[in-house]
Amino acid sequence: MTREEIIKGINQEIVEEYEVDESVIKPDAVIFDTLNLDSLSLVDLVGIVQFKFKVTIPTTELKSIKTFNDLYDYIETHLPENK
Amino acid sequence: MITEDIERLIPQRAPILMVDRLTQVDGAEGKTEFTIKPDNIFLDDDRRLAEAGLIEHIAQSASAFAGYQALEAGATEPPIGYIGEVKKFHCYRRPQAGEVLHTTVTMGAEVGGVTLLTGATHVGDELVADTRMKISIEK
Repeated sequence: MTREEIIKGINQEIVEEYEVDESVIKPDAVIFDTLNLDSLSLVDLVGIVQFKFKVTIPTTELKSIKTFNDLYDYIETHLPENK
Repeated sequence: MITEDIERLIPQRAPILMVDRLTQVDGAEGKTEFTIKPDNIFLDDDRRLAEAGLIEHIAQSASAFAGYQALEAGATEPPIGYIGEVKKFHCYRRPQAGEVLHTTVTMGAEVGGVTLLTGATHVGDELVADTRMKISIEK
């Protein structure tokens, strides 16, 4: 899976899950602020990544994922096919 | 087949008890069974289960699964769980008294003690309800 496919796939899921316009999802935007996440809705994002890409994000690693770019990087480097 | 008494697995008791038994556990997936008795408190006037009863049943199914895991890990009491959110609940048909619910719960992502799960309830081969749910389970 290419990075472009990852970005397209995760952005589509985020738009549907959080009902936001795709234009707000900018690579350097802070995820928490952009999606107004709280502890309950954060688990949805982790669930999307797990369901769509079979990538599990441990709680301890979440702190390092601040922007959408960080999220794309994390998925790309942890995809089962890339391991 | 799981033979554990359901009251060992979940804290709920009659008349709010909405699971008869945990029948199977496989990885992140658990299966339960529940027969709707004529005196079930979630039955509406038309003798069909209210949607809230289906949600409660799915939540207790998840609780039974978590309780089984806790006991397997050495706990002596079932953990207390709370429903944090119910999302994308679909009720395709409200089952009636006498019917047997077969439910599969699948545990997903977990962050900060909040677990995302999916639940699907069948009567025979017919899917009658499914949902996504977030639960918090006291450790």
